[in-house]
Amino acid sequence: MTLHSKAPGLEGRAVATQCDILRTGEVRASTTSPVKHLKRQLGDGPFALIALFVTSAVDFHDVVAQAARLFPDTDVLACTTAGEIGTHGYEDGLIVAIGFPAAGFETTSMLIEDVNALDMQATIDRITLERVALQRRTPDYSDSFAFLVVDGLSLSEDTLAATVAPALRDFPIFGGSAGDGTRFDHTYVALNGKVAANAAILTLARSRYRTRVFSLNHLVPGDTQMVVTGADPAHRIVKTINAEPAAREYARLVGKDPDQLDRFTFASHPVVVRIGDTHHVRAIQQVNDRGELVFFSAIDEGMVLTVASPENLSQHLEAKLTELGKPERPAHIIGCDCILRRIEAEQSQQTRAISNVLGAHHVTGFSTYGEQIGPLHVNHTMSGVAFYPTGGTDTCR
Amino acid sequence: MSLINPQDSLERQNEKLLQISQALMRRVEQKTEQSGFAYQQFERAALLESEVRERTRDLERTLDLLQDSNARLEQANIETETARSNLTEAIETINEGFALFDQDDRLVLFNSRFCRDLQDVEPQLREGLTFHDYVTSISNSRFLALPDGQTAEDWAQLRLERHREEHVVFNVSLIWDRWLQASEHRTSRNGTVILQTDVTDIIRMERQERDKMRHQEARKLQATLDHLNQGVCIFDHDKTLVGWNKRMDRLLDVGPVRARAKLNFDELMDQFREELTFNASFTAEQLIEWTNRTRTREPIAFEVTRKGDQIYSIFAQEMPDRGFVISLTDVTSERAATRALADVNEKLEMWVEERTAELEEALDEAERANASKSRFVAAASHDLLQPLSAAKLFVSSIVDQTDNADIQHIVAKTETALQGVEAIIEALSDISKLDAGQAVFDIQPISLTEVFNPLRDELAPSARAKGVDFTLVHSGLTVVSDPGYLRRIVQNLLSNAIRYTDTGRVLAGVRRVGDFARIEVWDTGCGIAEHHQETIFQEFKQLRSGGTNSGLGLGLAIVERACKGLRHPLEVWSQPGTGSCFSIMVPVSAPAAQMLAPRQSLPSHTLRDLNGLLVMLVENSRSVAQAIIHLIESSGGEVIWSETAEEALATISEIDLVPDVFLIDYQLGDGMDGIALYDDILDKYGRVPACVISADRTAELRAECKRLDLRLFPKPVNAQRLYAFLSEGVLEPAQ
Repeated sequence: MTLHSKAPGLEGRAVATQCDILRTGEVRASTTSPVKHLKRQLGDGPFALIALFVTSAVDFHDVVAQAARLFPDTDVLACTTAGEIGTHGYEDGLIVAIGFPAAGFETTSMLIEDVNALDMQATIDRITLERVALQRRTPDYSDSFAFLVVDGLSLSEDTLAATVAPALRDFPIFGGSAGDGTRFDHTYVALNGKVAANAAILTLARSRYRTRVFSLNHLVPGDTQMVVTGADPAHRIVKTINAEPAAREYARLVGKDPDQLDRFTFASHPVVVRIGDTHHVRAIQQVNDRGELVFFSAIDEGMVLTVASPENLSQHLEAKLTELGKPERPAHIIGCDCILRRIEAEQSQQTRAISNVLGAHHVTGFSTYGEQIGPLHVNHTMSGVAFYPTGGTDTCR
Repeated sequence: MSLINPQDSLERQNEKLLQISQALMRRVEQKTEQSGFAYQQFERAALLESEVRERTRDLERTLDLLQDSNARLEQANIETETARSNLTEAIETINEGFALFDQDDRLVLFNSRFCRDLQDVEPQLREGLTFHDYVTSISNSRFLALPDGQTAEDWAQLRLERHREEHVVFNVSLIWDRWLQASEHRTSRNGTVILQTDVTDIIRMERQERDKMRHQEARKLQATLDHLNQGVCIFDHDKTLVGWNKRMDRLLDVGPVRARAKLNFDELMDQFREELTFNASFTAEQLIEWTNRTRTREPIAFEVTRKGDQIYSIFAQEMPDRGFVISLTDVTSERAATRALADVNEKLEMWVEERTAELEEALDEAERANASKSRFVAAASHDLLQPLSAAKLFVSSIVDQTDNADIQHIVAKTETALQGVEAIIEALSDISKLDAGQAVFDIQPISLTEVFNPLRDELAPSARAKGVDFTLVHSGLTVVSDPGYLRRIVQNLLSNAIRYTDTGRVLAGVRRVGDFARIEVWDTGCGIAEHHQETIFQEFKQLRSGGTNSGLGLGLAIVERACKGLRHPLEVWSQPGTGSCFSIMVPVSAPAAQMLAPRQSLPSHTLRDLNGLLVMLVENSRSVAQAIIHLIESSGGEVIWSETAEEALATISEIDLVPDVFLIDYQLGDGMDGIALYDDILDKYGRVPACVISADRTAELRAECKRLDLRLFPKPVNAQRLYAFLSEGVLEPAQ
């Protein structure tokens, strides 16, 4: 678990357990005028920002357009999901809304387009200017974080994360890649009515409440290793492993029938790369027609993959969220949870248990095609941010 | 699972391993193919992230530590602040100026009282001020009273030197007679605490107390010195006279020495050098050398003689301040006494001899007195005075009844003769009293003029009658004696001289000898042979009988006895054929003694009409009775005469009339005497004017008369006095 947080301040922070640091709302996709409902649920503004996590079962453009109409003076970011996390945990077919009241937050959001051909310096400059301007506007706010939502099929998340993070300086960043259920066809992001693919939305936030950015990883690397001997890095395709067709060799190494490989196999037998003393999951998205493995994140030839085994997901989650609640329980958590975790949960029949844990810890968010934490794009994790009622600079009303 | 599939053939395995190693090698060599860029970026980011994470962890740990130490620091700050404010409060409550300098001598802390009296230093006080600057600013303060001859730099230098000592307490004098006590205390960390206490009041009080004590001490000392019977003078180390006592004033007789401030020993010495005579054993030069000595002086003692007769014992001693004290004791009288003591033995022996002679003389006297007494008693008997009294009455009545000048002349002579007889009897009576030791002397101051003038008048006629030149030289001295006896002594000496001088002169005068007046009576008479010079003072002894005014020879006897009684020494110088000189020594009265008022002369003797005054006369002597009756009746009074007391009482009751005046003889034969009669009259008729007539001159009778408040007329009765008494009775009738 990686924690990005300012050191807890000195004593004297006011407690605001009962106040709504964040407002949340959720509607089913089948609802007519869902955004109107959501607006009602969010209550009176003003809001600094509204985030919409939109199921792929609904017309994303329509939802975005509604939102732009209903919240004309408010930044509204939206993305498609591979599943939602509502009030009661894992959900499908929902639109989840999170409102950041202007009383507690000051934000700035930007649309970064063409992420597969990113002008890195221009992007860094733009982010830096926005960050500095935001900081100047909010000298009294103590806590900051950045939230990145990126097209999950752009194949550019690694580069984007590595580019964006340094420009943020001390703004800890987390994020998720927009999903498309389990179809892997189209993923979108949108900001203030503008829908884009191959794009990302970066939000910088300053908060009067204490915030803490985190990342959960429940995988433990094992002894089985393999070497990528042939790959198409641009398309994240591993062609051969150990000089054998990738899928067949992976299957042999994890003890599976090469013809029976599916997303459940990938979820329960993830592979990781070891860089330095840490390991990072390189999640396998699917097996293509040529028996090659398509990954969710960047790969390269010569890369050594280690087969990892997961710990009990719900227990791990419960333990880590509890840990996050020390010494103070967070009032809200926004989570970007990897689709593979949901698949693993389904496979190990822990969906309900995990939903309970998520609900108990006030986690809302969505299932992703990948998560960003700091400068890294990783898989099979949950990244997020926790909001604590103790005011970093002030108490809520 | 192994990297290599064991089911493969070895060739296949080898081929695969070759491919694997090639892939790894390519990877290691970091070929910058565009296709691998994303992963490389990821890899770099991951490495970076790993490092960042590592750093972050370190940072977090550091932050935790920092936070912890921040918290502790904050706590410590709070505690420090609390301690500091407590300390500040505490030192504010101190009633003294308080300041703390650290081990580098920089001011850390001070309270508002610190340097408050140095108003120009106070604004310069601030944390971090060095001790040196602090001292410098104080030394330059206009409120600091620098000791004489000390500059601000000197003061600062001394102050800094003190600062080096471990523990320092000293007083700082400020202007306006204010005082600070500053003390330094070293703290355990080698800092310095300075306390400033305002000790103005204490110092002023002490000074006042000290002055008072010094004043009292000085007064006590002066009183003690003045009390001494010695003259004391004190000189300081410059030989300047700084103290002396009253006795010194007197001993040296230098007048108001006190007025002469800063008198030097040498000046004093010069002043008295000529008057003083030093002994050979200690000379004036030695004394001067002693006073000039600079090393320790041993005490010295010596004697000097001043003006030839005053002897002083002198003692000189060094004082602690290198001055010296000199004491003088007048030992003149002691020295004289020592000399006199030697004479005493001799004188004592002489005195014993004199005393023996006196005792012998007293014995003789006693025998003589005894002998004369019996003779006098015979002479002065009652029988002698009775006829004399009658004769005098008769004679005095004759003068009133005749105008014949011849008869009057005779009567006058007769009266004189009778008075002479009376004088003789009185003289005898006096001698008897003097001899018997019964004489009562009334000693008082008396002017000699008062004694001499009447005598000159009295005796000049008899001298003139004899053709003797009589001179009584006037003297204004006042002496102490009995007036009556002194008069009689001088009278007797003068009349004696006149009597025994046939030609030439009698001269009397007074010579003052010390405290005595020497009354001398000189004559050019026949003189007295030496072997007779004892005899002349015996009564009834006359060397030469006959002569006009011959008496019984009682004159010198009275003189001798009276002088003895009065303790007036009597001396006789005589040379037969040349003359004699009798002299007596009478003490002169102190000049302040009051002069005795001149004696009033009796009112002139004129008879008045008794105007029917009824007088009861009780007299057993027919002749005396007739004389008195004649006297009274010739003046118009009436007399009832009884011979005895019993007869008188019977007559009064018979006529039933109390007479105006009673004249009662004391001795009335066998019956009641006069006093008893008067007692009876008092009983019966109350107080009636009365007098007693008697030849009895005993003290008993006088006492009786005094008791009854009765006048006593001695016989022979003086007609004038009797008449005066009777006329008083008329003018002031009995109450």
